[in-house]
Amino acid sequence: MNIFLRELKANLKSLLIWSAIIAVLIMMAVAKFSAFAGDPETLKMLDSMPQVLLDALSMRGFNLTTLSGFYGVMFIYFGLMGAIAAAMWGSDIISKEERDKTVEFSLVLPVSRSKVITAKALAALVNSIAFVLITWAVSLVMVRSYNPDPAFHAFLGLEMRAMFAIELIFLAIGLLLGCAMKQYKRAGSTAVAIILATYFMSIMSGMQEKLDFLKYFTPFKYFDAGELFRSGTMNGTYLLISAAIIVISLAAAYWIYNKRDLYI
Amino acid sequence: MNANIYRHELLARLKSVLIWSLAIAYLILFNFSMFPVFADQAAMMNEFLARYPRELRAAFGLDRMDLSTVSGFYSFIFFFVQLCLAIQASNYGFGLVSVEESELTADFLLSKPVSRSQVLTSKLLAALTSLTITNLVAWACSFTAVLLFRGARAYEPRTLLLLLGSIVIFQLFFLNVGLVISLLVKRVRSVTPYGLGLGFGAYVLNAFSGILGDVKLELITPFKHFDPTYIVQHAAYNTPLLLLNAAVTVISLAASYWLYIRRDIPAVS
Repeated sequence: MNIFLRELKANLKSLLIWSAIIAVLIMMAVAKFSAFAGDPETLKMLDSMPQVLLDALSMRGFNLTTLSGFYGVMFIYFGLMGAIAAAMWGSDIISKEERDKTVEFSLVLPVSRSKVITAKALAALVNSIAFVLITWAVSLVMVRSYNPDPAFHAFLGLEMRAMFAIELIFLAIGLLLGCAMKQYKRAGSTAVAIILATYFMSIMSGMQEKLDFLKYFTPFKYFDAGELFRSGTMNGTYLLISAAIIVISLAAAYWIYNKRDLYI
Repeated sequence: MNANIYRHELLARLKSVLIWSLAIAYLILFNFSMFPVFADQAAMMNEFLARYPRELRAAFGLDRMDLSTVSGFYSFIFFFVQLCLAIQASNYGFGLVSVEESELTADFLLSKPVSRSQVLTSKLLAALTSLTITNLVAWACSFTAVLLFRGARAYEPRTLLLLLGSIVIFQLFFLNVGLVISLLVKRVRSVTPYGLGLGFGAYVLNAFSGILGDVKLELITPFKHFDPTYIVQHAAYNTPLLLLNAAVTVISLAASYWLYIRRDIPAVS
């Protein structure tokens, strides 16, 4: 409990900075949306655009003149921000002890290593939840002037749950990296590599049919905004894959951290 | 400039440079290998789009995106290369001097008979050399990819040269801005979140302005300063933005020297 509270406090500043960034992002985006809201000209043009092009811009199936369509296009950026934030929190919360040379101190406390990870993971989880809730709240406040209908609220809720799922995946991967990497520096850089690689994959898989199989490797495609919008639910297969990634990463993180030699 | 510091910095960063270079080489070669397939689809798309009024196409940036030509498709890939380069350069910038403090080696380094400005110069030159290696890899891979996969399609070497030539200015921007931010804050605990924040932040800001219309904020992001689609379309840099970019770089550099020479560096207790 002490570790949990300590970590919450230590990560508060980071959470505030990330929240400020996403709030600015949403504000900018909604300001842009005002130019498109209910504009019939735009709608006509969107209707007649070829599918390939919409795919390349990841705008398939969205009507940009409605709030829901607009938020669908925005989703990839929410997912990206959530993924970066969660991966950084996850890897940093473990590896920082070695970086700041405090790992000997925290591990001689009368708590098992597993308990240390649990407390830290929970603190990072609370941060991730708060991040989604803040994104949600800021969105709701910003779009109020457009009088959104219940359908939009449902879609926004779905998007935020998907964003949370992406965060969870990257949080688990980040924790695993923090626990497994022998050198604390590698944890962060490997997390960057994974985020960049999966992000590029998500773009590529949408562009080319031959590369469609890539979608199984990138969490950004597990929760594709177009799919969410059309089906109104999250795809069960992908939810299972996500759960598997999370469980395996966490199990591996505990297992490795319990027996590893520390970098001092 | 001190040869020992330079050499040490270069060697310390060698592995990271190799990994980034490989990633960028793969990104360029693999994606460009899709060009022949994609070009056929894109040609059809262009015919279709040509029927729309100019203003509407402009609103979505479609008039600038022509994936059926070599330079059009290349500029599309170049955008992702830029993202990687931005993250790499800002990582190096943030870590340049802050790493000495976080790893408690700052007082060792600064007790050497070398002035602080010499330390900074050596480190900057080493970082620049590292970035240039990556840059050269990008040049080599781009030309290889274009020559291998362009097929019968023509391409304008001038546009390609312009795009690749922008890399070094782009890298310097992130290197110097990263450096000055790392000196402005009291302590950089971990380099990666900062580097990622700067790189991705600038990228998302630009991607955002790409979706729809105009917003003035986009002017602060280097991704807009060296917008590949703009360079391809006009076969020239956007001069005012280029100057703005260079000015920010120079100011950051000057401020970094000023700050570093006066910086209070905590001793190891």
